Amino acid sequence: MTGRDIIKITLNLVVIYIVGGIILTVVYAWTSPIIYRNDVLEKERALKELMPEAETIEKLGDWTIHDKHAEYFIGRRGDEVVGYIVQSFGKGYSSYINTLIAVDKDFSVQRINILGHAETPGLGDEIETEGFRGQFKGKDKEYLQVVKTDTKDYIQAISGATISSRAVAEDAVKNGVGFLINRIREGKDGEQSDHE
Amino acid sequence: MSSQTTNSYVDLIKNGIFKENTIFKLALSLCPSIAVTNNLRNGVLMGMAVLFVQVMVNITVSLLRHFIHPRIRLPVFMLIISGWVTITDMTMAAFFREAYKEMGLYIQLIVAFASILARAEMFASKNRVTPSLFDGIGMGTGFLFALSVISFFREFLGKGSLWGFPIIDAKPLLIMVLPAGGFFAVGILMGFFNWIEMRYAKKQRSS
Repeated sequence: MTGRDIIKITLNLVVIYIVGGIILTVVYAWTSPIIYRNDVLEKERALKELMPEAETIEKLGDWTIHDKHAEYFIGRRGDEVVGYIVQSFGKGYSSYINTLIAVDKDFSVQRINILGHAETPGLGDEIETEGFRGQFKGKDKEYLQVVKTDTKDYIQAISGATISSRAVAEDAVKNGVGFLINRIREGKDGEQSDHE
Repeated sequence: MSSQTTNSYVDLIKNGIFKENTIFKLALSLCPSIAVTNNLRNGVLMGMAVLFVQVMVNITVSLLRHFIHPRIRLPVFMLIISGWVTITDMTMAAFFREAYKEMGLYIQLIVAFASILARAEMFASKNRVTPSLFDGIGMGTGFLFALSVISFFREFLGKGSLWGFPIIDAKPLLIMVLPAGGFFAVGILMGFFNWIEMRYAKKQRSS
């Protein structure tokens, strides 16, 4: 390799790095605000969907579950508190299930929504269906238990996906509601103090 | 453009779709062809991402082929590929949010696709821009075609829907959307395409 080669190779790499870097910077500057805006919009939509009766939904604070960062919110109509929304995670069969839970002011579950998961397609992903999520309406914390038989009081497991069902009901939702009760009703700063 | 060259461009595209189809003939890039093809939308979007990257990489490499020193051509090709993949990745994150959530990881993995580096090295670095462009279109379309076919069958048989819309109210073969079903689908379709090609070749010989 001659000196000319070395100079040419250096020049090659420097030019490619600089040009590539400039192009990537431009694309990043262009796309990142869009990605950020979409994130915010999606979150707002998800919250609104969960608590349509609230006029304003405001963030109260953060908490952690399974070492993951989650948030909780308060829903108001005028000056009156209509309920709370808490984000929570449940340890499922093949992923942590990211869940949003809306409760009324007496901490009885109103709606839940599954934001993200990687459970088995066709089996575990039935947790997204209205049939499963609908069961949570009006359930107090004590009734957040999964049973395999027909039930009205508790949560009925999805056949073939007991682990995913449990992860949602007994892990994500139960701990989320437990956290809200501790933090808001009793004013305790108990991070996961109700964790089983 | 004479008809001679037009023909050779058509041949380049045909070559990518049939004779050297990345998945069905070369059996390369099988990981994404199983991982993202359990529904049609993801399969098609992944195929389009690969088509875009392959075409852009071929054009870039072909344009720079006299500038790149032969001793460092492979690292430079990798830089070009990863640059285009990053651009695709960020653009998809911004405009195809739903799909990106499920397949973001596999978009980034396009960097490691043997087929893209192979085309840059074997074709684009030795040919002018126009043939490289058509070669890229051919190889990319071949990949898109294979992924579309695989994901079409997997979603239809596994979920009874297409592109997320329910077609029949049943799940005839649930296993098709599971990872194991991916192997079945790829294997059966690969066999089917080779069988067709063998029959076609035999017919040509006998006539």
